Amino acid sequence: MIGWLRHQKHALAAALHRLRVQPVATLLTALAMGVAISLPSGLYLALGNLGRLAGDLPAQPEISVFLDAEASAAHKQAIAARLQQPDIAQARYVPKEDALAALSAAQDLTDITAGLTQNPLPDAWVVHSRASSREERARVAADLGRLPGVAEAHLDSQWAERLQAALVIGRSVVWLLAGLFAIALIAISGNAIRALVLARRDEIQVSRLIGATDRHIRRPFLYLGALQGLLGGLAAGGVLALAAWVLRAPVEQLAGLYGSTFHLLPPTAAEMAIVLGLTTLSGWLGAWLTVTRTLRQVMLAR
Amino acid sequence: MISFSQVTKRYPGGHEALSGVDLAIEQGELVFLAGHSGAGKSTLLKLIAAIERPTSGVVSVSGQNINRLSQRAVPYLRRNIGLVFQDHKLLFDRNVIDNVMLPLDIAGFDRRESLKRARAVIDKVGLLNREKANPISLSGGEQQRLCIARALVSRPALLLADEPTGNLDAGYAADIMAMFRDFHQVGTTLVIATHDDRAITALGGRTLRLDHGKVERASA
Repeated sequence: MIGWLRHQKHALAAALHRLRVQPVATLLTALAMGVAISLPSGLYLALGNLGRLAGDLPAQPEISVFLDAEASAAHKQAIAARLQQPDIAQARYVPKEDALAALSAAQDLTDITAGLTQNPLPDAWVVHSRASSREERARVAADLGRLPGVAEAHLDSQWAERLQAALVIGRSVVWLLAGLFAIALIAISGNAIRALVLARRDEIQVSRLIGATDRHIRRPFLYLGALQGLLGGLAAGGVLALAAWVLRAPVEQLAGLYGSTFHLLPPTAAEMAIVLGLTTLSGWLGAWLTVTRTLRQVMLAR
Repeated sequence: MISFSQVTKRYPGGHEALSGVDLAIEQGELVFLAGHSGAGKSTLLKLIAAIERPTSGVVSVSGQNINRLSQRAVPYLRRNIGLVFQDHKLLFDRNVIDNVMLPLDIAGFDRRESLKRARAVIDKVGLLNREKANPISLSGGEQQRLCIARALVSRPALLLADEPTGNLDAGYAADIMAMFRDFHQVGTTLVIATHDDRAITALGGRTLRLDHGKVERASA
């Protein structure tokens, strides 16, 4: 156990030394990795912020049920009773007076509404159904529309569904990009390590001759790959921080124009830890693949 | 300690480096492998260190059958064998003492213990004042002594040397051979391939003469 730890320490020290003596190569590899990773992680952050912006709006599509102007009190009671049933999550009654008041307040239409001789708006219910699929919601809306005394039941789902669908596509793109760039990362790491393995061919051959196991020979390179990956992850963090710094003022200005206090949120500590972990893992994996392959070649070339 | 039974080694391409070799080397023996170049001396040493595997026949070292040794077990066999190469195989990216410490690092020794052992063996080969030097600045004889120090630092029971004095002038060669005699006297088994007959007569010991891959005669 102590011997094992000593080997790990030794390999880690050797890897750190190797990185230190080649600062330019180390930096360039880290930058290449950082730029590669910053694309999917940047998109992920952008989607997170966009989702947060959309989160202020109702996530569940609403059904607006407009009542007939001549609906009788009995019909109105029947409708209210129907809205108590279990397929309805929530129903809010909006009398036409309230609707008119809200309209004139929200849209600054006081002048116009004041000129109206009578209220043109119908009484309405704003209903959230318990239905989870689009078809079920449409069925509930149609069902409500057929009730006597109901003029129209309107499902306000299109824009919400479109936004949801766009976000789903965006998330899939993030995963796709993340997968692609993970492969790029493995390739970058492998390439960097391959050059190092070939440069140390003599040492590897001599070490083999005096009793080094393959694991012993591989170990410093694996640490090297993992450290490169970690540096790449940190570089990606740097790239994103820079992007956020550049974007912050314009985004806040744009949000200000819409009267919003929206601002960009940085990634959470957990998200950063995941990215760093994944880049470290990719670096390690790239190193493992290359070293194993190159060692076999060196052995054959003996 | 080492036994060959009907050992043949044929390289790809058909060249037969050893044919039907039988031999036995006891623990603590000093054995010279003599013969012209290409007679199979290096191949014989490589078979003992499991650098090559025999085409047929059985090679056994310290009771282990080299033919059946798994690739994973080879490193552990080699840790008990000191290898001295004609071309030294030193690493020029590190100084003298780090070269000597390499086998100990591989075996997982504590660094302080390694340093102590490495200094002792460097002192024995007379390079203590060059401890921090890069091996590239050493003379041929010094490089060979450094190679010997590296082979001995892990105190192997068996030392294999392939033309250890091949590139050296007579004075250096005598030094090196005297060093080998000392190791022999403390019980190390030595197998030395050389075509330097002066060294053989100076040191005594048994001589196995190889000729075209066959053991020609054994003489005491």
